[in-house]
Amino acid sequence: MASVKLEGIRKSYGAVEVVKGIDLEVADKEFVVLVGPSGCGKSTTLRMIAGLESITGGTLVIGDRKVNALPPRERDVAMVFQDYALYPHKTVYENMAFGLKVRNHPREEIASRVAQAAETLGIGHLLDRKPSQLSGGQRQRVAMGRAIVRRPQIFLFDEPLSNLDAKLRGQVRTEIKKLHQDISATIIYVTHDQVEAMTLADRIVVMRDGEIEQLGTPDEVYNEPATMFVANFIGAPAMNFLSATVSGGHARLAEGGRVSLGTLADNLAEGTEVKVGIRPEHFLEKAKPDCAVTGIVQVVEPLGADTLIHFAVGNEAMTARVAPQTRPAPGTRLTLGCDPERIHIFDPASERALRRRRPENRAAAIAVGA
Amino acid sequence: MSEVMQSPAGIESRRRDWASLMDPSDRTLAIWLLAPTVVLLLLIIVYPVGRLVFTSFYNLSLTSGLPAQYVGFENFELMLEDPVFWDALWNTVLITIITVPGALLVGLGLALLANLPFRHRWPVRLALLVPWALPLAFVGLIFAWFFHSQYGVVNDVLARFGGPRIIWFNSPQWAFTAICLAIIWKTSSFVGLILLAGLQTIPRSLYEAADVDGAGRLRQFFEITLPLLRPAIVVALIFRTITALQTFDIPYTMTRGGPGTTTATLAMYIHQNTVSFLDLGYGSALAVAMFVLSMGVTVIYLRIMGRGH
Repeated sequence: MASVKLEGIRKSYGAVEVVKGIDLEVADKEFVVLVGPSGCGKSTTLRMIAGLESITGGTLVIGDRKVNALPPRERDVAMVFQDYALYPHKTVYENMAFGLKVRNHPREEIASRVAQAAETLGIGHLLDRKPSQLSGGQRQRVAMGRAIVRRPQIFLFDEPLSNLDAKLRGQVRTEIKKLHQDISATIIYVTHDQVEAMTLADRIVVMRDGEIEQLGTPDEVYNEPATMFVANFIGAPAMNFLSATVSGGHARLAEGGRVSLGTLADNLAEGTEVKVGIRPEHFLEKAKPDCAVTGIVQVVEPLGADTLIHFAVGNEAMTARVAPQTRPAPGTRLTLGCDPERIHIFDPASERALRRRRPENRAAAIAVGA
Repeated sequence: MSEVMQSPAGIESRRRDWASLMDPSDRTLAIWLLAPTVVLLLLIIVYPVGRLVFTSFYNLSLTSGLPAQYVGFENFELMLEDPVFWDALWNTVLITIITVPGALLVGLGLALLANLPFRHRWPVRLALLVPWALPLAFVGLIFAWFFHSQYGVVNDVLARFGGPRIIWFNSPQWAFTAICLAIIWKTSSFVGLILLAGLQTIPRSLYEAADVDGAGRLRQFFEITLPLLRPAIVVALIFRTITALQTFDIPYTMTRGGPGTTTATLAMYIHQNTVSFLDLGYGSALAVAMFVLSMGVTVIYLRIMGRGH
């Protein structure tokens, strides 16, 4: 296993720049997920690491070798493709053995490695079948098996679950996480699904328009989104945003309510325009003196475990996740509270978060200052 | 009057037949929908083939002025003792054995070229189409000029490199070579088109997976391209072999079968007997032989293809 280092990695097709300078260090045995909407450059970045796309600019280091100019087979990476890319005319065994056969491993070693990988993935009984005789989930496992037997330095996954149905996706996701724990491999994983990113990653790289928007652990990305884009992308249903004005230590909503800003207000001049971000799950059913948001109920969606209430504050559509038995009638007025510690404040112009001063941040600032 | 009259039971049963024919049940509907095709096939395939087999058992020569006379297998016995038939059959088989693999190899090369990621693909594809679109007789004439001993471009090029001046159509071997080259040039574009269509069904991700797995270009060709191209290759082989067995236009326009009958094909000999000599009985027997040959080859290919699945 090995680390991967991307320094100012860029990719252009003619005049169009799709990856605009990515800096990323993936540690040995780390599971890093690149996540973002379609066209954000995440798959292109992964394919550059694999060697399937040429690198326009920057440096790519795997282990301690610069690999910019090396073809895929010399980079010692294995990749799991979105469409599995299994060789349809070869059996499961032959598919898994191919990479080893090409590299002239002895026959006995190939057999034992394939058997071991098949055992790990529970596909031992499928070795004589052709890919066309397998279900989607089984094909996915074979594709992973083909990667595992190679024992490469780096595993690359390109949206491996997007061709599976929702139930199977959850199941295979768990298996991938378990696999990472078992073989403790370095994995770079691309997805557009924030749930996959949150559940699998040691660190998440949120990408947008060919650039890294935020890099951090799942907790950091969820709890301290750096921008409105990240706040909106991570978490489902997405974070709610309300226009507000700073006034007397509070963010006064344009319509229906106010939220205490606490220590954040120290940094903000009176009358500053801000966006208040509240996650649906952070609404409280009782209004509080330091946080109250009032709107008109539009749609109520009972989900069993909880209820989603879609309501409007002025022109701004909001969603709240509340207890399952809470079922307000559509059209009624609703006032919800929140914990001011869990709200987010953004600058509407730059869309960047206005950070709450936390003790550890202050400690870091002092350290840097010293 | 009484002959026209029918028993009540007869009228009843006929009414029932009509009613069942007009009944829009699945079975009846299927029969109605299939009927035009069946009639058409009977008219344009089954009847002519049947008529051919029928005629092959008759002594029917329009030059003799005698009425057709049933002669059993006499035409076929005559055929087996006819040295020209054996020559023509051998030439036909030889042309097939040489030009079918030849066209397959050249066609595969063309398909692989045309499948490369050109910025402008259409001129390449168009170039691939041109030989296929040309009429066979036209190609024969073009190549007859190419190989002309005095004015041909082939001899000109040979002379520039100090080669000998070959009188192509005076020697059986050279005439045969020229014909085979013309046929390969003409037919490899068709094979190329079929194989190109086959190549385009192979997903790119398979090659990417093989890249990552560590397989080089040559290995990818033999481990991925060729096995996955197999159905397209079999289809191309069936079409090409059947048309090769029926080779007529190119040798006809290039050599008329000469020198002597050394480049005459079975189709040319059938044409000579039926159209020139008006010996329809013997010509039909020869045509039956060609029909059996074509069917035999097709069955063998289909067996091979069936095994592949």
